[in-house]
Amino acid sequence: MTGRFTREDAIRWAPLMVLIALVILFTAINPNFFALRNFARIAVAAAPALMVAVGVTFIILMGSIDLSMEGALSFTAVLFCYAFVKFGGTLAAGGWVAIPLILLVGAAVGMLNGLIHVKLRIPSFMASLAMGFVATGATVLLTGGGIVKIDDDVFRGLLTHRLLGFPLMVYVAGFCLLVAAFIQTRTTLGRNFYAVGGGEELAHASGLNVKRVRVAGFTLAGVFYAVAAILQVAKLGQAESVTGANFMFISITSVVVGGVALWGGVGGVWNALVGVLIVNVINNGMVVIGLPDYVQDGMLGLLVIIAVVLSTDRRAVTVVK
Amino acid sequence: MYQLAKVDKKFPGVHALKAVDFQIGRGEIVGLVGENGAGKSTLMKVLYGAYQPDGGQITLDGRSVRFANPRAAMEQGIGMVFQEQSLIANLTVMENIFLGYEQQFVRFGVINWKAMAAAASAQLAKVKLTIDPATVTSALSFAQRQLVELAKVLTLEERVPGNLVILLDEPTSVLAEDEVNLLFKLVRELTSRASFIFVSHRMDEVMELSDRIYVMKDGAVVDVVTRGEKSVEQIQHKMVGRNVDKEYYREHRQQPFDASKEVVKLESVSLPGRINDISLTLHRGEVLCLVGTEGSGREAILRTIYGMRTPLAGKVTIKGQQITQFTPRNAVAQGVGYVPRERKVEGIVAGMNVYENMTLSQMGRHSSAGVLRIAGERALARDWISKLSIKASSELADCGNLSGGNQQKVVLAKWRSGGSDIMLLDHPTRGLDIGAKEDVYDMIRDMSEAGVGIVLVADTLEEAIGLSHSIIVIKDGAIQKRFDCTPGAKPSLFDLLHYMI
Amino acid sequence: MDLQRLKPHLPWITLLVLVAAVGIVDDTFLRPANLLSLAGDIVPLFIMALGLTFAIYIGGIDLSAQSMANLITVVASVYLAQFGGWVALLCILVGFGFGSISGYVTTKLMVPSFISTLAVGGVAFSLAQYLSGQKALNMEAAQRDAVFGWMIGKTGPIPHELFIAVALLALTLFIERRTTLGRALKAVGAGEPAAAASGLNVARYKILAFAISGALAAIAGLLFSVKLSGGAPTIANGFLLPAIVAVLVGGTPLTGGVGGVLNTAIGTLIVAVIRASMLYFDIQATQQQMVFGVVLIGAIALTIDRAKLRTVK
Repeated sequence: MTGRFTREDAIRWAPLMVLIALVILFTAINPNFFALRNFARIAVAAAPALMVAVGVTFIILMGSIDLSMEGALSFTAVLFCYAFVKFGGTLAAGGWVAIPLILLVGAAVGMLNGLIHVKLRIPSFMASLAMGFVATGATVLLTGGGIVKIDDDVFRGLLTHRLLGFPLMVYVAGFCLLVAAFIQTRTTLGRNFYAVGGGEELAHASGLNVKRVRVAGFTLAGVFYAVAAILQVAKLGQAESVTGANFMFISITSVVVGGVALWGGVGGVWNALVGVLIVNVINNGMVVIGLPDYVQDGMLGLLVIIAVVLSTDRRAVTVVK
Repeated sequence: MYQLAKVDKKFPGVHALKAVDFQIGRGEIVGLVGENGAGKSTLMKVLYGAYQPDGGQITLDGRSVRFANPRAAMEQGIGMVFQEQSLIANLTVMENIFLGYEQQFVRFGVINWKAMAAAASAQLAKVKLTIDPATVTSALSFAQRQLVELAKVLTLEERVPGNLVILLDEPTSVLAEDEVNLLFKLVRELTSRASFIFVSHRMDEVMELSDRIYVMKDGAVVDVVTRGEKSVEQIQHKMVGRNVDKEYYREHRQQPFDASKEVVKLESVSLPGRINDISLTLHRGEVLCLVGTEGSGREAILRTIYGMRTPLAGKVTIKGQQITQFTPRNAVAQGVGYVPRERKVEGIVAGMNVYENMTLSQMGRHSSAGVLRIAGERALARDWISKLSIKASSELADCGNLSGGNQQKVVLAKWRSGGSDIMLLDHPTRGLDIGAKEDVYDMIRDMSEAGVGIVLVADTLEEAIGLSHSIIVIKDGAIQKRFDCTPGAKPSLFDLLHYMI
Repeated sequence: MDLQRLKPHLPWITLLVLVAAVGIVDDTFLRPANLLSLAGDIVPLFIMALGLTFAIYIGGIDLSAQSMANLITVVASVYLAQFGGWVALLCILVGFGFGSISGYVTTKLMVPSFISTLAVGGVAFSLAQYLSGQKALNMEAAQRDAVFGWMIGKTGPIPHELFIAVALLALTLFIERRTTLGRALKAVGAGEPAAAASGLNVARYKILAFAISGALAAIAGLLFSVKLSGGAPTIANGFLLPAIVAVLVGGTPLTGGVGGVLNTAIGTLIVAVIRASMLYFDIQATQQQMVFGVVLIGAIALTIDRAKLRTVK
C-alpha cells in the first residue's frame, strides 16, 4: 500500500491541488488577488455557503441528495428575522433567543424533509425538491413578498467586527465546521452516515436502523442550513423569500468538486470546505481578473460534471438514470 | 447443542426442505453438501434465522427457539460468515467489526476510538490477523476480509453466554490454496470456542475439514457421513443419485451435427476475472454445453459471445467474421440470440406486452423509416404464441404477468422469430416446473434440427449430459476437458464431476 | 375494485372531480370561454411538460427545462430581427443540442440526470445572461406579429395555442406509440437491462429522450416569448415545478416505463384547474408553489413503482 499513488489517493488530494493551483493562477494574472482584504472577501462570501455545503455533505455521504436548501434557507432566515425583532430587536434585548429557536426550526424542517423521503419512500432528490418549493412558498406566505430587516449593530458585528482581518462570522463558520468534523469522526451517527453510504443493505443486515440514520442526517443538515441562514442575515442585514436563491447549485457543486462522491460513503466536511473554497476562489478570481459574473453558473455546471465524472468508478456503476 | 428436528420449508410451488433433521454438537465441524437446488442455502437460512420454518422444531441446548431474524439468531450465538463479502468497504476494520454495536465504546456521545481499536485488536487476534484495526477495509485482500468477517462473528463470544455456532458459506471460493490451509487450521483451533457449519462445493475440502457431513438432495438429507467413512465418489453418488431418464431429455431426438460448418469460434480468449485461454468451436446444429461450478467462468464466456463483455486477448469469430466491436447489437445483427439467466431482469420487459417483447430485438424488421407496422408485429406474435403454445390471453397480455415457462417461451420466440441461428442459453430451465422444462427441451431439439448452433449452460449436470452433443468442463476459468456426447456413449456424472471439482 | 386496477384511471377521475368541484364553487368556471382561455394559457407549460415526459418516461429527470425555456426566450428575442421565421428552427436546434448534451453526460459519462441537467441548466442560464446582456429584451411588435402572430391569435373562441398543443400532442403520441423510438424508450423505462440484452442501443435512445425534452422545452420557451413579446434570463422561472407536477399527476411515475404524453395532457389540465381554483381563492403565484410542492409529493408517493427501487436513496 505504501509508496504507490493510487486512484483513491489522487481523488483525495486532487481538490486541494486544484485549489492551490487556482490561487497561484489568479495571483499570477492579478497580484491583487493575493491580499488579506481579498481573502476576507472570499471568506465572507463562502461562510454561509460552507454551512449549507457541510449540511448537504452529511446527506450525500449517505448516498442521498438534498435539493431543499434554497427554500429551507429562505424560510429559516425570514423566521429568524421575525423572531429577532419580536424578542427585542437587538441581541442584548433578547433577540438572542431567536438563535436557538431558529436552529430548532431548521432541525424540524430537515426532519420533515427526511421523514417524507423515508416514510413515503420517495427518492430524496424529488422529495427534497418538492419540500424546497413548499418552504419557498411558505416564506412568501410569511413575508407577503416583502423584506424583513434587522437593525442591531451588535448582531451585525458578525460582519463588521474583524479579528485578524476576518469578520467574526468567518470564525463562527469555522467553529461550526469543527463541530461538523467532530460529529463526522467521533460520534456514532457520523460514522453511521458512512456505513449507510458505503453499503446500505449490509448496514441494515448488521442491525443498523438505516431509516433512523437517514432522518437524523436530514435533521442535522437542517440545523446547518439554519446556521447558514443566520450568517446570511448577518451578512445582508435582512431576509426575504429569495435569500436562499442560488445556494442549491453552489453548495452541491462545492461538495462534489471538493471530492465527496455522489454515490455516498466517500469524503467528508473537509472536502466540503475545500470545495466551497474552490468555487468561491473561482468566483472571486474571475471578478478580480475582470470576467463578467454571468459566467458563474455555466462554469459551476461544467465543474460539477467534471467532478462527478472524475470521481465515478465506472466499473462499479451499471445503470444511471 | 443446536438441533433441527423434522424442519419443513415450503415456497410457492417448491417444497424446499422436507422434514430435515440436523444437529451439531459443541466444538464440532459439520459439512453440508449437495447440488445446486438441493436445499443447502434454504437450510442455511433457516439455521441463521433468515427464514422461519413452516414445520418442525429448532432447539438450542434443549430449549425450543424461534428466530424472527438473523439478529435474533446472533443474540443466541448463531452467526454467519457470508460468501459474498459483507463488509462495508469504505469503513475501517474496527468499524465493520462493531457495526451496530458501537454503543459500548460511546461515552457522552463520543466514540472512544482507542477503546474500539483495542477491542478490535483482541478480536483480530482470535483469527491471528495482525493488521491495524484502523485500516480501511477496501485496502485488505480477500483472504484478510474473510478473516475480518470471521472476527466480526466471533465478537458474539463476548456478547452471548453459551456456545457459538458459526456458519461458513463457501469461505474458500476466493482463496488461494495456502490461504485455505491457514483458514482450516484456524477453524480447527477455534473449535474450542465455537462449532462450525461448513458449506462448500469443493468436496475435497469438505472431506478434509468436517467431522460429519450432511448430504442433501431434493430438499432432504439423504445421508450423514462420519469422517473417513465414505469416499468422495460415494458421497457424490448420494448427491446426484437418480436415474437419468433418456426420454426426459429427448435424447432420441438428438441428431448428429454437421462438423464442417463452424458458426462460433473462440481462440485463446482471456477475460477479466482470471478466465484464460478459452478456445472452443460451435457448429451448425450442435448443442455445446459449458459445465462447471458457480463462478467457474461459464456465464462470462456466454456473455462474451453475446458482446456484453470484451475479451482482454484472443479472437472471437462468428460465422467467419472476426468480432472487433463487442456489443450486443453487433451480436444480434450476426444472428446471435441470448436467453439470460435472470429472465425477469434481462429476458423480458415486464410492463410490455407479448408482441412488444417479441419484436424488441428486431424492430428494424417491423418498421419503415422508424414507423412500426404494428399489425405485422401482432400477427407475428399470434403466430408464435400458437407455434410454441404460449399460454397468454392474447398478444396484448403483459409479459410480467405470464408464468415463468411462458415468459421463457416469449424470450425464445423473440430470437427465433428474428431468425437467430446461434442461441446462447443461460440456465434456460431455471425455476420452471417439469412440464415447462420439457417444453424447453423440445424447443432445444427443434432448434438443433433446424441447424441452430446452441451454447448451453444447464441447470443440472443431467440436463447438460442429456441435451448436449459436446460438453466442455471449465474450472477456475480454464477449460479442463471436452467430452463427446453421442447418444449411447455419453459421459457419466462422475466423469464430469471429476474435472469440475 | 382494488387500487392497482384503479391506478391507471386515477388521473382523469381526479380531473373530473376537480372540475366538478371548482365548477360548483365558482359558477363562472365552467363557461366554455373561460375553459378555453384557461386551456390556452397553460399551453407553454404543457409543451414543457410534454418534453419532460420523455425524460421521466425513461426513468430520468430533466431539471434544465426551465433554464432552457429561459434561454430560448432570449435567443428568440435577440435573433428574430436577424433570422425572421428561421429563428424558430434555431430555437429548436439549440434545445435539441443542449438536451443531447444532458443525455450524453448522463449516459456516457454516468452522471445522474438530476445533476447533469442541473449543470446543463446552469450553462444555459449563463448563456442566456450573456446573450441578453442581463436585461429584459423586447421583440419588435410588427415583426413578431408578422412572423409569429399566427401562434397567438384566435379562431372564433379558440386560442391558436391550443392548435399548437394538439399538434405537438399528436406528434409526440405518434412517436410514443407508433415508432421504434417510442417502443425503445418504453423498453428502457420499463426494463433497461432487458432492453440492453435485446441488443438495443440504449445509450442512443436515452440521449434522444433528453434531446426531445430539450427541443420541446425550447418550443415552450419560443411560444412564451412570442406571447410576452420578449425574453429575459429568468422570465420562465416558476415553470419547472408545475411541469413536473403535470407529468407525475398525469400518471407517469418517476420510475418510468408507464404513462406517457396523453397522461401528461390530463396532468396539465389538472394543474390548470388547480391554478384556476387558487386564483379564485386569491392565492398568489409564488404561494402556489407551496400547494404544488405538496401535490408533487402526493403524486410521486402514489405513482412510484417501489418494486423497481431496490433501495430508496
